[in-house]
Amino acid sequence: MILIILIAFLYGCATVISKMINYRAAQELGTWNGSLVNYVVASILALVMLLFTTRFQVDLYAYVKAPLYLYAGGTFGVIAFVISIITLSKMKVFQSTIFLLSGQLLAGILFDLFVFGNLTAYKTAGILLVTVGILWDKKVTAA
Amino acid sequence: MYSFLVLIAGMLQSAMMSFNGMLSESIGLFGVSLVVHVSGGILLVLYILIFIREKITLKGMPWHLYSAGFFGVLLVSVSSYCVGILGAAATTCLSVAGQLFISAVIDHYGWFHVPKVPFSPKRIPCFLMILAGIILLNLS
Repeated sequence: MILIILIAFLYGCATVISKMINYRAAQELGTWNGSLVNYVVASILALVMLLFTTRFQVDLYAYVKAPLYLYAGGTFGVIAFVISIITLSKMKVFQSTIFLLSGQLLAGILFDLFVFGNLTAYKTAGILLVTVGILWDKKVTAA
Repeated sequence: MYSFLVLIAGMLQSAMMSFNGMLSESIGLFGVSLVVHVSGGILLVLYILIFIREKITLKGMPWHLYSAGFFGVLLVSVSSYCVGILGAAATTCLSVAGQLFISAVIDHYGWFHVPKVPFSPKRIPCFLMILAGIILLNLS
């Protein structure tokens, strides 16, 4: 358990590094093209990794068999990105961070409850403590 | 109104992570990463051409900034993996905790040419609370 927790934590760390690189790319090419670079390079890289890890034998049937709605992830990501750009200048950073986190947790808890069905008492308490800690820290640093 | 939009954006991000996690069970982590970036990329190109009316250009940056794509693949694959084991809410919590931690370190030492902001001791109780939550998550 500790290993996967560490991985999720490091995932958050990598998110920040990635945001800083994307921010620099946006300064070079503009917000939209700068972000598009990420998608284009990632598509090529993911294809290469997919081909190598499957030894050039991609099970295409698995792609057809998977429920169609699960493919909506990429669309959701772009919509979320467009919203974040549109609202960036209209809201305080603190405020938008709080609402973004609330949305993530709200949907996350709903998914855990109704789809994954893996919400235990310890886990709920842990999520609650981490969330309060994060909000508290946001308040301290915003002041 | 804008607050509500941002709330929706957060929910969409969480839904994306959960969908990706479930999809990875059929097509693998790199398969998910490919699908997400190709579909997202096509949509973004359309959005730029139709609504922003900007010319598409990807050339002319310092080479190391193209590593954004490496992080794209890494982040989608890792989050899809984590959400399958930890669930969506815990993955989100841990990721934000990681973001706070590394941001504090980057600010404190002024890495990546950001202005130095020394770590404030006022934040220690907040970090301890987050740590307590992580320990509880570990017990579950």
